[in-house]
Amino acid sequence: MYRQGDVLVHPIEPADVPPGLVPAGRDARGRLVLARGEATGHAHVVSGSGVTLWALPDQSDPSFLLVKGYGRLSHEEHGPIALPAGSYRVIRQREYVPGAWRPVAD
Amino acid sequence: MTIETVTVAPAPAGPPDATPAPAGPLDATPATAEDAAAAALAGLADRWLEHGLCTTPADRPAAEAAVREAYVAAGLPAPRHVVWLPSPFAGALAAALLTAAPAGAAGSGPDAAAPAGAARPGPDAADPAADAPDGTDSGAAPATRTATAIAEVLAALRAQGCVPGEVAPGKAIRGTLRTAPWAAARMAATERLGPAGWAAHWAAGGQRTWNLLVDRVVTPLRTRLAEDLVADVRDPLTERARSALFDAVYGLHEAAWLSAFDGDPRLRGLAGVATSAGWWWPYEQVAVLTERPVVAERDNVGRLHRGDGPALAYPDGYGLHVWRGMAIPAEVARELPKLTVQRIRAEQNAEVRRVMLEHFGYDRYLRDSNARALHRDECGVLWRIELSDDEPLVMVEVVNSTAEPDGTYRTYWLRVPPDTRTARGGVAWTFGLTEEQYAPLAQT
Repeated sequence: MYRQGDVLVHPIEPADVPPGLVPAGRDARGRLVLARGEATGHAHVVSGSGVTLWALPDQSDPSFLLVKGYGRLSHEEHGPIALPAGSYRVIRQREYVPGAWRPVAD
Repeated sequence: MTIETVTVAPAPAGPPDATPAPAGPLDATPATAEDAAAAALAGLADRWLEHGLCTTPADRPAAEAAVREAYVAAGLPAPRHVVWLPSPFAGALAAALLTAAPAGAAGSGPDAAAPAGAARPGPDAADPAADAPDGTDSGAAPATRTATAIAEVLAALRAQGCVPGEVAPGKAIRGTLRTAPWAAARMAATERLGPAGWAAHWAAGGQRTWNLLVDRVVTPLRTRLAEDLVADVRDPLTERARSALFDAVYGLHEAAWLSAFDGDPRLRGLAGVATSAGWWWPYEQVAVLTERPVVAERDNVGRLHRGDGPALAYPDGYGLHVWRGMAIPAEVARELPKLTVQRIRAEQNAEVRRVMLEHFGYDRYLRDSNARALHRDECGVLWRIELSDDEPLVMVEVVNSTAEPDGTYRTYWLRVPPDTRTARGGVAWTFGLTEEQYAPLAQT
């Protein structure tokens, strides 16, 4: 698994990729964005060969990343990370609030 | 507004063949037509999101023309009266005042429903340049606050020649003006693109604006308005104002879904109001329009968030104090910049204390209290502070893996469940994993 700041890319079995996903994450510059900072404008971007991002219906943040060739994660404030081919779940970091949790916003 | 129609061709439903690809060179993901279209839609969504978060004064002539266009598009005559109010709070009160009395029943009108003292017009607080104070700042008795607001709205309606009791607003027509054309546009898009194509189109151009505007702005605002309208005075008039929230069209916040229908002629009127004004209330004979916010501040995940004033504020001083999406009372908000450990400890309300702790900074609080380091490992340090009348505060202190520009490494704290035993277990929890599962190969 690979961690870049508040995003973790976690390998899963191809069989565990759920059906009914929609393509997601393409920004205005054509980049594939795993997560973006609304206040900073920074973004966790994945590039490479044979890379696709998918979201569960009705969710704007991508939850699944498929890499057929190779991938590369980049972000303005973090070092780049190379991703081997595979199927991945995209996990956004959270923090605890009593009785619940919420996404981390740093 | 640029009129351009961008559509995404029907995409395959679901990931293409999720089995591992055979090793070997693959296409270097050329920008396909679908990708280019998705990028264009994302660009439109960005533009619409900017409209939805806009904090400049309303473009009144443009908004009024767009309102007329929306009426005409729905097959209705343009409204006889268009009136302007400074906030959705004032707009809801205006809607209640106008719909309260049957026309010609002046005298039995809303003045009777207003609390004593409502006839004194309040000060004109419309100063967009000022850091809008929260309406609860006045220190006046609560009933007087609502009464003052009602008096100001009444004065504004009279000044604009739309006197409650003399003008018959007619029926509320939100459904005709907004819901019906929206449904028609969506049906047309679905027919044109097919179900899968529509899903892809919405994912590329609507889902994000919807989540960021509806979930993070409109819903908290509407919830707070519903509370505030009946907070001091609960009478037929304020109850009607609260019900009138169901008749509102959200103006700039309709950008949430308009982004996916950019340029649709059926929606030109609605879109015109969305790019020029705030919430509005359409009735057959009267349109009540309101200003955009003067402040709209959000955190990095798009929640309303501000530590030194209202996160959302309007020209008349109506506003919401919000910390990371959690509404907080104005008096608490005013205390945040000058907190002390003693003050935080003395706070009885657990939720308020949490906000105070976050604003003050866990690191400062740890330094100034008898915090115990429970555990240390390569993932960080696990801290624990006992809090009276609340579960203990357990946090992992972690160090950024990438250096700051000056070569230092930033440290930050994340709260984790109180039963966490190790720093690694704490970090694992923040990613929804167990301590055994969590083992990053690379971290930056």
